[in-house]
Amino acid sequence: MPAPDPPLPWASGLYSIKRHGVSLTNCDSEPVQTPGCIQAHGAMLVLRLSDLTILQVSENSAELLGETPAALAGQDVAKAVGAAGAARLREVIDREPIERNSLYAFTLPARGAAEAMDVCVHTVDGVAVVECEARRDGEEGGAVDYFRGLRGAVGRMQAANGLREFCLRVAEEVRALSGLDRVMIYRFHADMHGEVFAEAKREDLAPWLGFHYPEGDIPRPAREIFKRIWIRPLPHAAGPLVELVPLANPDTGHPLNMTHCALRGASVMYSEYLANMGVAASLTMPILRDGELWGLIACQHNTPTHFPYQMRSACEFLAQVATLQLKNAEESEQRAYRLRLEGMHQQLVATAAQDGNLVALIDRQPSLLDAMEAGGVALYHLDRWWCAGITPEPAQLHALAEWLNARPDFASATRPVFCTDSLPQDYRAGAKFAAVASGVLAVPLTRARRDMIVWFRPETIQTVNWGGNPHEKPLVTGPHGPRLTPRGSFELFTESVHQRSLPWSIVEVDSALRLRMLVMELVAARALRELNGELTRSNGELDAFAYMASHDLKEPLRGIHRHAHQLLKSAQSSDDDRKRVEVIIRLTVRMDSLLDSLLHFSRVGRAVLDFDEVNLNEVVEEALEMVGVRRGDGTFTVEVPRPLPGLHCDRVRVREIFSNLLSNALKYSAPAPARIEIGYHARGETASRPAAPAESAGHTIFFVRDHGIGIEPRHHEQIFLMFKRLHARDDYGGGVGAGLTIVQKLVQRHGGRVWIDSAVGAGSTFYFTLPFGEAPALA
Amino acid sequence: MNPGTILVLEDCDEDFETVCDAARRAGVTHHLRRATTGDECIGMLRDGATAVAPVLVLLDLNTPQGDGREALRYIKQHDRLRSVPLVVLTTSANPRDLGFCYDCGANAYHVKPVRHDEHLRVLGEIFHYWLRAVALPQKHEFPARYVNLPSR
Repeated sequence: MPAPDPPLPWASGLYSIKRHGVSLTNCDSEPVQTPGCIQAHGAMLVLRLSDLTILQVSENSAELLGETPAALAGQDVAKAVGAAGAARLREVIDREPIERNSLYAFTLPARGAAEAMDVCVHTVDGVAVVECEARRDGEEGGAVDYFRGLRGAVGRMQAANGLREFCLRVAEEVRALSGLDRVMIYRFHADMHGEVFAEAKREDLAPWLGFHYPEGDIPRPAREIFKRIWIRPLPHAAGPLVELVPLANPDTGHPLNMTHCALRGASVMYSEYLANMGVAASLTMPILRDGELWGLIACQHNTPTHFPYQMRSACEFLAQVATLQLKNAEESEQRAYRLRLEGMHQQLVATAAQDGNLVALIDRQPSLLDAMEAGGVALYHLDRWWCAGITPEPAQLHALAEWLNARPDFASATRPVFCTDSLPQDYRAGAKFAAVASGVLAVPLTRARRDMIVWFRPETIQTVNWGGNPHEKPLVTGPHGPRLTPRGSFELFTESVHQRSLPWSIVEVDSALRLRMLVMELVAARALRELNGELTRSNGELDAFAYMASHDLKEPLRGIHRHAHQLLKSAQSSDDDRKRVEVIIRLTVRMDSLLDSLLHFSRVGRAVLDFDEVNLNEVVEEALEMVGVRRGDGTFTVEVPRPLPGLHCDRVRVREIFSNLLSNALKYSAPAPARIEIGYHARGETASRPAAPAESAGHTIFFVRDHGIGIEPRHHEQIFLMFKRLHARDDYGGGVGAGLTIVQKLVQRHGGRVWIDSAVGAGSTFYFTLPFGEAPALA
Repeated sequence: MNPGTILVLEDCDEDFETVCDAARRAGVTHHLRRATTGDECIGMLRDGATAVAPVLVLLDLNTPQGDGREALRYIKQHDRLRSVPLVVLTTSANPRDLGFCYDCGANAYHVKPVRHDEHLRVLGEIFHYWLRAVALPQKHEFPARYVNLPSR
């Protein structure tokens, strides 16, 4: 169990920076919003909102306002700022939106020893907070100059290209407006450690650009305040502090919430921190992104200074513009990065496609390493690892891959990706190679072959300059007794943020996934080509087999047939023998046609179709000719109630469909003369259309109808099977039973279906569709 | 006058018998010379005093020791033999064989029917067509420039 926190030193009463210390161990709980003290260069009056009676006064009121706190307590504010000032305050309080938003009210003229004061006011928790700061000579006309400066500044910021340039412009413009020694854009990372992302400074100062600072350098309470205020001036960090008298509001007993006060006394931690950096004054403005603290505009001056109200307002305005434009700048930066990444990835995949080898992603220049910001990249392909840059050892990669392959998120159907900036946290064994691979971004390629791409990012120590060693805070003895303070040294030295890399951005993760898609398309295309190749080969082999089989089977068949013939011719056979030999001959003939049908069927399925515009009426006439009957010979009638439509199809094959169906119809009409009807139902004719398989919807249905013997429904499926005959071999004109099988195959080759509607004694109707031959339906 | 020689490459005795039968029925008076292997067939045609100069060649494709394809190629690659009508008779219906034979210059290609009567009929038609119906160049009518046509 963790030990209970020791009681805070101010737990027994109201907090005042002047009275209570704060240590690094408890600075996350320092009451920074109610410090009880203000910076001594200004004076403060806290007024009851209803009647503007003075409730609290800063203890320096005698020097700055000419009256002691005791003389002012309980008095009307006019006593401190004069009747005109009081009237102006009332006007501002009544008319302006100053709740938690400080506004300039008027300038209090110099009186005796007291300088002229700029007076700002805001309201909070039922009180009006009046802040007075000395106005220096020559500041009167400032507003116009600042406005002019701002106009140019906003334009230049807007013209920036990308996030970094944008931030640099902001820093430059703020420095130009403020004239301060150093202006930094301090950017928070996901883990809230910060980085000097852009910097504008006096030339003789050492650059801090690119330095990273641990999270604790800007503690959480301070970050919280920066979400609520627009500017934080500290013109003399090491300057004296003065308390409010009394510390608590006499009406409520609560300390004053100074969040929105420009004069708010700085945390001792912060002022010492600045002092240790050699900074005497600071002006800080937050940059927000979607309501969260994205970063700070941190301005520093090496000597105590004065921040005129107009200048502060101008800087504040720039910070607000920066916040508004940041999203755009960031998005355009991300877009640019995304485009660059995807462009490179596409180029790499194209090269791999040309090479016919995924390894090109790794071993060619440029490689995957040149796209994503990573220390190393490894591709698992063809059962081995291909690496570029700095990666773990193959054995370590194997173990990592095994671990990755077992993760459900790595097998996700939508976003199969694993990404971390601290591998050892998820994968213990990763600690061994955390130096090169604290950050891991991995996408699977082909699940079956366990191919994958893994990017590695080294531990942050390898890539980041730490502005001071966050884990070695020097022990100094301060005025409030021994305690830790922020670092005294700002020499560059590095310290690991243990087993952690810079995080992967959304853009990078998305690009990895997109690359995965590209590679998979490539792999799929190649696999398809290979499969097609195999199919062609196996088709060829099948063809060869079919011909070989037919040849090899026919050879002995011919022998049997011939010898049987000779037997038949020889005189000494008895009639009985002759009959048997005749059967043998008939069987060989039958076997011959079976083999022919088999061979034909095997070719029908694979032969390339020859599509052309075809007049079906001609085709039907040709089919009739093929089945060896002639119109008007009395054995049949064929009705075609209306001319058949034209069709884009393989003429020879469609003729074969008709000839097979016609021959079938003729056969099964015997002994009566066949009455055959050939027709179609166009796709628009919904009313008359027969019951049809769902796939036939929207297609013309052709039919061949006879009035013959019909087929029992239970046989309707069997009739399409190869060599399946429902009747005795020699009934109904014999035949080998391949015709309907071939019809079905030919119809399928045209993308269609064939089915039958028939009942015993009621004749049969064969329906079929030929979708490939039709013009597409108008949707 | 000797009407000439018909060269038959056929390894199957029964089929050769059918050829002879068909020739008899068709009234063919030509001398029938049989080879049973491709090598034997090529040997008979090779230049020399004993070389056979056929007026018609019937080739089976699938014969042992140098099959009919080799004999076919040999015949169609030699100027002296190229114009002799060559008819392939085989059980193979493989389009690849068919294509190969015509590519090599075969004049006709027949799949041997299983039915004996069919077989006789086909042979009869072959004899009738290639020995009687068709017009063929006489040896001395060859223009000189064709004689030395480079082989393919």
